[in-house]
Amino acid sequence: MIDTKNLRSQIEKIDTLPTIPSTLRKLLSVIEDPKVSLSDIGSFISNDPVLTSRVIKVVNSPIYGFPGRISSVNQALILLGLNVVKGMLLGVSVFEAMKKTMEGLWEHSIGCAVTSKIIGTKKGLADIEELSVAGILHDIGKVAMGLKFLDEYKGLIKKAIDKNVLLIDLEKELFFVTHSETGAWIGQRWNFPKSLIEIIEYHHKPQLSKNYAIQTAVVHLADILVRAKGFGFAGDYLIPTINPIAWQRVGLSKDELKEVIAEMEDSLAESGEFNLEDD
Amino acid sequence: MIKNQNIVLVINDIAISTTINDKLGVFYNINSFKKISNALDSIYNSLPDLIITDFSSDATEISKIISEVKKDPIFGQIPFLVIVEEDYIFCDDNWLIIDDYIRKHDVDKEIQNVVKLCLFRAERVFETNPLSRLPGNITIEKKIQNMIDKGEKFAVAYTDLDYFKPYNDKYGFSRGDQVLRMLGRLVLNFVRQWQPHDSFVGHIGGDDFVFIVSIDIAEKLSQEIIDTFSKIVLTFYDDEDKKKKCIDSVDREGMKKKYPIMGLSIGIAHNQIRNFTHYGEVAELASEMKKYAKLSGGNCYKIDMRKI
Repeated sequence: MIDTKNLRSQIEKIDTLPTIPSTLRKLLSVIEDPKVSLSDIGSFISNDPVLTSRVIKVVNSPIYGFPGRISSVNQALILLGLNVVKGMLLGVSVFEAMKKTMEGLWEHSIGCAVTSKIIGTKKGLADIEELSVAGILHDIGKVAMGLKFLDEYKGLIKKAIDKNVLLIDLEKELFFVTHSETGAWIGQRWNFPKSLIEIIEYHHKPQLSKNYAIQTAVVHLADILVRAKGFGFAGDYLIPTINPIAWQRVGLSKDELKEVIAEMEDSLAESGEFNLEDD
Repeated sequence: MIKNQNIVLVINDIAISTTINDKLGVFYNINSFKKISNALDSIYNSLPDLIITDFSSDATEISKIISEVKKDPIFGQIPFLVIVEEDYIFCDDNWLIIDDYIRKHDVDKEIQNVVKLCLFRAERVFETNPLSRLPGNITIEKKIQNMIDKGEKFAVAYTDLDYFKPYNDKYGFSRGDQVLRMLGRLVLNFVRQWQPHDSFVGHIGGDDFVFIVSIDIAEKLSQEIIDTFSKIVLTFYDDEDKKKKCIDSVDREGMKKKYPIMGLSIGIAHNQIRNFTHYGEVAELASEMKKYAKLSGGNCYKIDMRKI
């Protein structure tokens, strides 16, 4: 058992999260290309939770003088500039130790970003890019816990698979807190905009979100739809139930849900190719 | 004692690294790294007061990365101290990025003095706008006069925010400054992206920024800056105002009034159809164009097209 205070200080000590090997290989070729543009880098970064978290962290750091304001990757890149972005990407490290699990988590995160965007567009929400960023970052707490408590976390995932239970319930048993809280801690520590922190914190308890209720409900729903589609791997094989309040808040009709699922299939096939091409 | 200055140390040699940590650790916060690439995250996140590296491991790689870091004006002022072997010979490129050096056998004896000197010197050369870290009036004037004297063709653009005052009144100066810093980054990065060489960005003060680019791109670039600004600026409003797309503030007479979301007006002067002899003419013409843009409702640019 690890006490919460100690856990929080461990998590808050994290300055930078590692990515997966296939991302790093592609990253190097992107940085070394002298003709690479900000928008090329932007679409690359948007498809990786760790790179996205890095960019959002740096642009919201007090140095640039507008902390907690920017939640879009493209806007972040414009304000940081090519030199800073390239330099920042040079320091990215790799997470070999949890390769298998983490690669599945990457796909799950991309799937959730894509699906959040689809639902948000369908419901005519503002700030679609912010939703997509929230989608890709929603499980960032899992990366942090895996990084700091590798053996324990690997053990939890194995147990979740063997006993066919939800990873989040096992997290709570062992750590007293879940990846939702640890993700929110990181977001606070790194000056993320309030909207992102709230969505990360409540994506499993969307009924508790007050200021960004619809956005949180969308990411909650997207998370479950992506699991149900069997795209990627979020640490267990169970599909949690959709929270009825969140379902109401999003307000998808039966036909709209069908359309969302159809669009997901198209987009996920594309992003699947993107992420798996060199495995 | 209170340590309020931060040093990033990138040294592969453990003996040297230990010596430096021993000598400086009492006075400064030191972040030690073995490789320069690992230090970048810390540099970009903490804005150190000094970077110390070892040139005996991989001088070319280190120089390349440091000169990239220094291209950004926020990080350009960080002094850069290198430790070199007894027989190391400097080349001209070194002097462009290095602020001082110590030879290995002098580290123990000299590191404290040299570090102090570096830090003091860095404070003295600060001549930029403290808000944006961009060059100020004197540099802007020199730059423009220089181009006139050389007979170069150029466009000078002056920016001005629409409805900045009501924003400042409602949200306070500190939030207003956030918007100005954002605008400074936006202008700088777009200008650099469109014209990496021979372009210039300066900050006169307040919401007045200046950029110099070639005439053929000035209009398109201005339009892109205006468009992007109006997208990003929304995130600087509270959610309620963002939804309403306006704010309640008071006018100069103290009356309550509704004001629209901020926009950007840009005035452009250039020497395609007329010649300048003095900086003052450029400034006057660009300001005139800026006022014209504002009178046209703002959120647009105006370029001088009048025949002489």
